[in-house]
Amino acid sequence: MLAPLAASDYVLHVAVLSFIYLLPALGLNLVYGYAGLLSLATGAFFGIGAYASALLALRLGWPFWLALPAAGAVCALVAVPMAVPALRLRSYSFVMVTLGFLVISESVAKNWVGLTRGDMGLIDIPRPRLGGAALTSVPQLYYLMLAAAVLAALAFRTIVRSAAGRALAALRDDETLAAAYGIDTWRFKLAAFVLGALLAGLGGSLYAHYTAVLDPLVFDVFHTLTLLTIVFGGGAGTLHGVLLGTVVFLFVPEALRVTPQWRMVLYGLLLVVFVFRLPGGLGPALARLGRRV
Amino acid sequence: MLGALVAWTVLDRLAWPYPAAVAVAVLASAVLGFAVSRLLMERLLVMPFSMAVLATLGVQLALQNGAQLLWGASPKFFGGGWIAPVQVGGVGIVGQQLVIFLAAAVAFAGLAAVVRSTPLGRAMRAVAQNREACDVVGLDVERVVRVTFTLGVAFAGLAGALMAPILVNVGTTLGLPMVLRCFAIIVLGGVGSVPGAFAGGLILGIAESFVAGYLTLQLRDAVGFAILIAMLVVRPQGLFGVRVRA
Amino acid sequence: MSATPLLSVRGLAKRYGGVIALDGVDLDAAAGERLGIIGPNGSGKSTLFDCVTGLIAPDGGRVALDGRDVTARPLHWLAARGLVRSFQKTAVFGTLSLVDNLLAAGQARACGGTLAAFAVGGAAARRTAALTVRALGLLDALDLAPLAAAPAAAISFGQQKLLQFASCLMSEPRLVLLDEPLAGVNPLLVERLVAHIRRVNREAGTTFVIIEHNTDVLLGLCARVVVLARGRVLAAGAPDVIARDPRVIEAYLG
Repeated sequence: MLAPLAASDYVLHVAVLSFIYLLPALGLNLVYGYAGLLSLATGAFFGIGAYASALLALRLGWPFWLALPAAGAVCALVAVPMAVPALRLRSYSFVMVTLGFLVISESVAKNWVGLTRGDMGLIDIPRPRLGGAALTSVPQLYYLMLAAAVLAALAFRTIVRSAAGRALAALRDDETLAAAYGIDTWRFKLAAFVLGALLAGLGGSLYAHYTAVLDPLVFDVFHTLTLLTIVFGGGAGTLHGVLLGTVVFLFVPEALRVTPQWRMVLYGLLLVVFVFRLPGGLGPALARLGRRV
Repeated sequence: MLGALVAWTVLDRLAWPYPAAVAVAVLASAVLGFAVSRLLMERLLVMPFSMAVLATLGVQLALQNGAQLLWGASPKFFGGGWIAPVQVGGVGIVGQQLVIFLAAAVAFAGLAAVVRSTPLGRAMRAVAQNREACDVVGLDVERVVRVTFTLGVAFAGLAGALMAPILVNVGTTLGLPMVLRCFAIIVLGGVGSVPGAFAGGLILGIAESFVAGYLTLQLRDAVGFAILIAMLVVRPQGLFGVRVRA
Repeated sequence: MSATPLLSVRGLAKRYGGVIALDGVDLDAAAGERLGIIGPNGSGKSTLFDCVTGLIAPDGGRVALDGRDVTARPLHWLAARGLVRSFQKTAVFGTLSLVDNLLAAGQARACGGTLAAFAVGGAAARRTAALTVRALGLLDALDLAPLAAAPAAAISFGQQKLLQFASCLMSEPRLVLLDEPLAGVNPLLVERLVAHIRRVNREAGTTFVIIEHNTDVLLGLCARVVVLARGRVLAAGAPDVIARDPRVIEAYLG
């Protein structure tokens, strides 16, 4: 909380990235950890949210505080026509379609040069303004992003504790049984998917206005894979798991400036190891250790 | 990707002739496929599907980025192969393309024959249709998986080594677009159908060329996926596929 | 008894390739009845439930609920209209606690819609509180109260069967289809479960259709029994008549 007083600008920057990343991670957690849908589209919505927000700010002059919710809304709206046919499919087809959505989004970002300026990207995305002045320094933005992360976590917890959260967990555990008790599994899956897209889009908007520049690399599969590692490695289906995952798989490697290649190799090996040894993720495993101690 | 890179290494570092490079690439791929199958794929049989996706994703990540660390990130110039132009029916193509076409034709014909007529092929189809029943009748599912996977990886390596002269520059980014195209082809042709894959490959190739030639080059990658998504929504079993129980 | 039966099945048929699972089954369950279904293995009992509840699409025949045709309607649609079923295999939400299992089972009817499930206001809290009270009451009646907070995957098979039974009652259904509810349950608790069925049936008028292999208990609990064999109704009537019917005896022993 008081980190800006002590830590260097770089560490704060990494912390900010972690806060921003938490949003799409929670979104993926909702979709995969609670509804049981392995979706690779979270990264796509992250990028779509980022571009939507940036374009609204740059082309229409919208302030950050308007662009942010608008970006979320755009993602939620796009998610619906995407999910309606996709949810009918079997699990491996669904995964492929979500991957396809990611690839197509990247392609659109690269090629619709009239809208997105393609590979040249967008620059000078306006920073959030508070009380008449723009927040430009990392410490200033730190508090804003921290607040966003906290709000997202609280929202996530509320959803999860509600009857809807129970319904999602139920359908993840046994879809037929959930239906037998009256739970409309299709509608809940759709709801989870849309909410996941919304969260990812909000995260994307924060990302765009923080870094102030944006290019199609935001759609790179690197982000999606990192998010997957965070959610799966940290503990899908739990809040503390995702928080832990963000720290371990994003904050630490970023702070140590581990190169992307080594990180990916590590993530890759970790994914394999976790599948066989720790399918529940780090969070629950550490919790079990804690109980034993 | 690895097929192409291994072939490059043989060609460039060892200065062996191109056919030898291809052979080494195929062999190395087969060994790798065997290892991955023993260590990973067979163990995944008892796990839910999402776990298999994540594990194989992990392997892909580790391999691709490991390759980047080994070979470096910049693409390498591939010097071998038959790149002298050849005239076929009034159209000028490169000799290598002829080789690829022939190899593909042989491979497809051979694979179709295996799947249809040999005991191994029957075993493969049985595993695809009903795994529990296979256990009941004493079919060694793990062995079938091992052979299938090793073959599959060997084919991939062969493809990489054969494509390398055409691509001219080989690097670690070769893998992903290829895999996406493979998904599209398989879904298009129908999962489990060898003639379907052949047809799917032709259709996709032609579609991509059309898009690249008449629309825009950049959209080429997206074509595969657009087709994939369209097929899954409209006709999930593909053109030739059989409706397999989910 | 001229009232429309609550559940009405006519000519229900299902075949898998060459195997005939159901061969034209006719069945009626009157409101407030305790109907038993018995039959040797493979006679189509579970398939009957699957077809009635829309899990499997029948090849022929009709299913009517309260006179209304509901053939092949999806599972959750029927559950929302008061038709609940249990499963022969153990079926609980493994990662949820016992209480949460019951809440999840009861909330669909209470909330009345997907969107309502997301609500967090005072009304939602009151709903959850009411459901929790009912859940704890059921757990208490079935001797599961000490395990209320344990994850469902951690309790024994017999206890999971009891949990499934309780889950079925959470939404206060009109019709409950129980598929072998006593299998694997501690004999001491069998009495308790049977007593609970009697009580709910008497107090709430809930109709029960029960498949069971424990014929002693079933014949004692149900006022009417249907015997299935090879996908057809072999005999139907009062328990003592059925028990003496030579065809029934032959089907079970032959």
